[in-house]
Amino acid sequence: MYNVVQLFAKYGAHIMFVVLEIICFYLIINYNLVQKEIFLNSSNVYAAKIAQQQSKISQFSNLRNQNDSLMHENATLIENLITIEYSSDNIPEADSFYNQYSLIPASICNSTIHLRNNHFTLCKGSREGIKKDMGVISSYQGIIGIVRNVSENFSHVMSLLNSQTKISCSIKSRKGHGSLVWKTMDPLRMTLESIPKHEKIAVGDTVITSGYSTMFPRGILVGKIEKYVSIPGSNNYDITVKLFNDLTNIKYAYVIQNRLDTEQAKLEKEVVDE
Amino acid sequence: MNSAIQTNIIRIIFVFLAQVLIFKQITFSLGGLAYIHFLIYPIAILLMPVKTSRPVLLVLAFIFGIALDMFYDSPGIHAAALVFTAYIRNIIIIFLEPFDGYNIDDVPTLKRMGTGWFVSYISVALLIHTFVYFSIEAFSFVFFFEIFLNTIFSFIVTFIFVLVLQFIFRTKY
Repeated sequence: MYNVVQLFAKYGAHIMFVVLEIICFYLIINYNLVQKEIFLNSSNVYAAKIAQQQSKISQFSNLRNQNDSLMHENATLIENLITIEYSSDNIPEADSFYNQYSLIPASICNSTIHLRNNHFTLCKGSREGIKKDMGVISSYQGIIGIVRNVSENFSHVMSLLNSQTKISCSIKSRKGHGSLVWKTMDPLRMTLESIPKHEKIAVGDTVITSGYSTMFPRGILVGKIEKYVSIPGSNNYDITVKLFNDLTNIKYAYVIQNRLDTEQAKLEKEVVDE
Repeated sequence: MNSAIQTNIIRIIFVFLAQVLIFKQITFSLGGLAYIHFLIYPIAILLMPVKTSRPVLLVLAFIFGIALDMFYDSPGIHAAALVFTAYIRNIIIIFLEPFDGYNIDDVPTLKRMGTGWFVSYISVALLIHTFVYFSIEAFSFVFFFEIFLNTIFSFIVTFIFVLVLQFIFRTKY
């Protein structure tokens, strides 16, 4: 009690000042229309700002779910694009064909870029339906590689940037097809081989997957022709392709599931065996 | 000391009546941008004896401000500004303290403290009071330009008027 009295004796004037000002402002805000409006308005503004920050934080903590749903949405969109690519064919296809390819979204856990033989690891495995020799893309504009090995929860993908990569590709609206290999150590450029010299090509042509393998459907964009040389004494061009997607900073991928691959492979094997 | 209290009571009543009956009616428009108000009432608090204790000043300022607000129809605005002025009054007086200190019965008037001391004291106090008053009236620094103009022009006319009053009424306390 003595302390309280002492406190008032020492700081009484200051406490009184604060109390009187509070009374004044109470009166101002409650009995003056203009000031009341400004007070209410600005307090609403601050409350709205706080609510905005709070929603920002909750959105951030929700990012993983949103990302997953976006991945699924993307997967269906890319499936539709592949379907459109086939439906614009001159040869009409059977209805069943349209659902031949489906996509499995997955995130990338681990990757190497600067080695001679590079690999990716996906965070999904056989439990989600991933099998050996499936193709992996990052979007409609980019191949990533081919599944080489699958465990229950992970799958090991041979990157495009691997000396063993060989993917059948063709050039959009031109004839002929060749195979895409990685000879340089440049993660943005690859080489397209075995396009015969009698085909006409030009710098800037778009390179797409040919669809001759069971891994990739036709029409997935790979890159653009940056330059080409015709090697003397050879039948083929040596074409440098600049990739559309940058493999050095990929976080998500889609695994292409081909429903008819076993059937196709079995048929082709029978022919070889005969 | 008794006559000092009497003088102050009479001065407070006169300043109050002058403010609500005369100066409240006088406002000059300045091209629609700002208005010149005569806010002479702070001198009722500012001219009280130097050694007046702070709580007395604060309570008087509060009552005076509320009474003024009843006539101005603006509950709390004048009171808030005047309480603030009463609070910082002693700080200004301490800043302006002469070398030999204040006497126990000093009053901050032109006659007693000299022209230089009085001008600096009353100008700082009035400027702060005018600024605080217009800030609270606008209640938002969005209107900073208006607050600034109102403050400057009202301060100038009020300051001149207070000086004139000091030359006319040369009170002892």
